[in-house]
Amino acid sequence: MRKPWQPQQPRSWWLRNPAYRRYMLREATALPLLLYTLLLLAGIVQFSRGEAAFATWLSWLQTPAGLLLQGIALAAALLHAVTWVALVPKILVIDSDRLRIDPRHVLRAHQLGALAGNLGLVGATLWLLWPAGGA
Amino acid sequence: MRRSHEPISWSLFGAGGMLLAFIGPGLIASTLLLGWLVQDPQALYATLSSGLQHPLTRLATLAVIALPLYHTAHRLYHGLHDLHIKGPTWLLGGFFYGGATALSALCAFWLFTL
Repeated sequence: MRKPWQPQQPRSWWLRNPAYRRYMLREATALPLLLYTLLLLAGIVQFSRGEAAFATWLSWLQTPAGLLLQGIALAAALLHAVTWVALVPKILVIDSDRLRIDPRHVLRAHQLGALAGNLGLVGATLWLLWPAGGA
Repeated sequence: MRRSHEPISWSLFGAGGMLLAFIGPGLIASTLLLGWLVQDPQALYATLSSGLQHPLTRLATLAVIALPLYHTAHRLYHGLHDLHIKGPTWLLGGFFYGGATALSALCAFWLFTL
């Protein structure tokens, strides 16, 4: 019978080293981001049920629990964005005979893209919904 | 050799991570601002209704829900391993990836039967 060697590692392995703690914090961003995605999904359900149900969902966003979730999710999304973009040039390596791109350019392009995407989205929301202008 | 699901789950994880990095903070900041910006929920409902008439808008909305679902399911699934939480692969994998798939399918149903 096979008797595989079981490496002994304490469950608290990640608490001792700051780099491991940062890694676990980065992975933990998934939890608030999942809960926020479920909040958005609830918005789609409420939207499909009509105007009144959608207005109820909008009021959920403003409850203390809703604001707390969105606040934690915003912090998690910012940490995710910074750590994700920093990893992109290590994973997206464009280094073949036909095409070579300096990793610094890959990093810069994704930094600019993430800035443009996020600021553009907030800008579009403000432009569409500014009280003086529209809905 | 048994075929691995890793290329598929990692592609969805990667796509979700990229989407969350490019629009995640902006999207959350936007919904936080909704409370102060929206004085008339009916007008916002009408705006979103006309926007969602186009199939491409519905597809984009589905992507904004489904890809983060797969991204977070992947990270939480592997996070269990990091925390030494053990269980049968079919059960844990089925819960996280199956859950993401089921919620994505439900989201598609709700969006495309509007």
